[in-house]
Amino acid sequence: MKYFGALKGIVVAAALAVTTLGATSSQLHAQGLVEEIAQRGKLRVGLSTFVPWAMRDKSGDLIGFEVDVARKLAEDMGVEVEFVPTAWGGIVPALLAKKFDVIIGGLSITPERNMTINFTIPYAHSGQQMASNIELAGDFTSLDDYNDSSVTLVCRRGATPCDFIPKRFPKATLRQFDDEAQAFQEVANGNAHAIVSSAPKPTFYAADTPDKIFMANDGENLTRGNEGFGLRKGDADALNFFSNWILFRTSDGWIDERHDYWFKNKAAWEEQIGSN
Amino acid sequence: MTLIDILAFSAVLGLIVFAVYRVNEVLVYNWDWSRVLSYILRVDDETGQYAANLLLYGLATTLRLAVWGTVLASVFGVVMGLWRTSDNLTLRILSRSYVELIRNLPPLVFIFIFYFFVSSQMFPAMGIDNINPDNAAVDNRVFRLLFGDPQLLPNFLAGALCLALFEGAYITEIVRAGIQSIAKGQWEAARAIGLSRFNVLRDVILPQALRRILPPLAGQFITLIKDSAIVSLISIQELTFMATEVAATTTKVFETWILVGGIYFVLCYSFALFFGTLERRASKTRR
Repeated sequence: MKYFGALKGIVVAAALAVTTLGATSSQLHAQGLVEEIAQRGKLRVGLSTFVPWAMRDKSGDLIGFEVDVARKLAEDMGVEVEFVPTAWGGIVPALLAKKFDVIIGGLSITPERNMTINFTIPYAHSGQQMASNIELAGDFTSLDDYNDSSVTLVCRRGATPCDFIPKRFPKATLRQFDDEAQAFQEVANGNAHAIVSSAPKPTFYAADTPDKIFMANDGENLTRGNEGFGLRKGDADALNFFSNWILFRTSDGWIDERHDYWFKNKAAWEEQIGSN
Repeated sequence: MTLIDILAFSAVLGLIVFAVYRVNEVLVYNWDWSRVLSYILRVDDETGQYAANLLLYGLATTLRLAVWGTVLASVFGVVMGLWRTSDNLTLRILSRSYVELIRNLPPLVFIFIFYFFVSSQMFPAMGIDNINPDNAAVDNRVFRLLFGDPQLLPNFLAGALCLALFEGAYITEIVRAGIQSIAKGQWEAARAIGLSRFNVLRDVILPQALRRILPPLAGQFITLIKDSAIVSLISIQELTFMATEVAATTTKVFETWILVGGIYFVLCYSFALFFGTLERRASKTRR
């Protein structure tokens, strides 16, 4: 869509304005987020569809790693959970505008984002992988071959790979898509050399179309990502609570177990989304 | 039908067939309609019966948005359109500002600003955010039919209002043009026989203007249905938003969007047919 160029500016402006407005109102409400959730009896979670973090099963219900984490968190808090599926481009402004309590949406921790929202300690480390077109990039021997003006790389707009690509491959042409599947299709069609995206989607994709797509860098991650819950600024108690919940559930192995289930073994849950 | 018609038709058909044929050459893609279709209707594993799925829910929301959007936009449009032609300067300035502000902003920018600055302040102040979704007043059939899931009420209201304000500006101009197109003599004659301004409008001007307004109005309502897709950005779970989710989950992008395109087409075209009937009826009653 042609209007998306303006989007980033608006998001930042909206975020700043809402933070300013929020600052005055938060002084009036001394009650913290955790008490608010307990009183309401419901945890409202913002997320965006992103396989295998959050997706729709055959009957249209949300499933995925994120969904499991949010359900468990709500269960441990003794409250119900309500999911608020949100367009990725508007997820941070929506948090600031109090459309939900917390983003549990595979949101990577970056200093830039941290200027507007708070992050808990990471609950997942995904990293980015690159899937390439065999015809176009089959004879590339190292990642540096991608740093060339004849190379076209694609990513999903607003996602961290779009920041990573210009830094790692400054000479390559970067094209951004609103939708990950469109970006993948461009690589399969031979209109782009490779896509950089969060693991494990490139791996899944290469496995689906082995005659067209291969994993660059031998499938190793190009980066190590750190995903945390996103919270509004100014509530140290809530930040402490959520961080310690992650710590607790990491220590007892629950988070790793769920992460492996969704990320390592696609066959285990493929049936639920009716994949073939 | 002459020979030239038949030739022209065959040429167009041939082009379409060729394009469809070429798609498979250009695109590296495994077509699989069944997965996407199951997001319209699915077979319930437990009961074995058909049940509505995401895309139908999305369509229902789009229909609700279209109905509320059309009603509210007509109200805004008629009121503002009358103000535009009013003798009162304040009313003229207000309606003019409304029209120009909205006409000169891209829809996406307007929706973003409205959602995050206006509705996120207005709805909590009106207490809409605090409505208990389990309350019997909202958790019933009629309410669900009109507004959808009570939990998503603030979202839905923001979307409908946004859309109505946006389209209302264009309808304002259509109404203004319609009223101004009626010859001045009609006003003068009606006033001369002692009718009040309100009565002149109601009994003389608007009935005549309505016939001229109908065709452009129909176009605007169809635009409204199509424009309802942009509120997917603010997470209103209408057809386009649901389609995005389905496409992301299934990775069957083309099937999803072709299907959704078809649904929008049927929706808008039936609306166009309905308005065509209205127009014919209006021209029959011409005195």
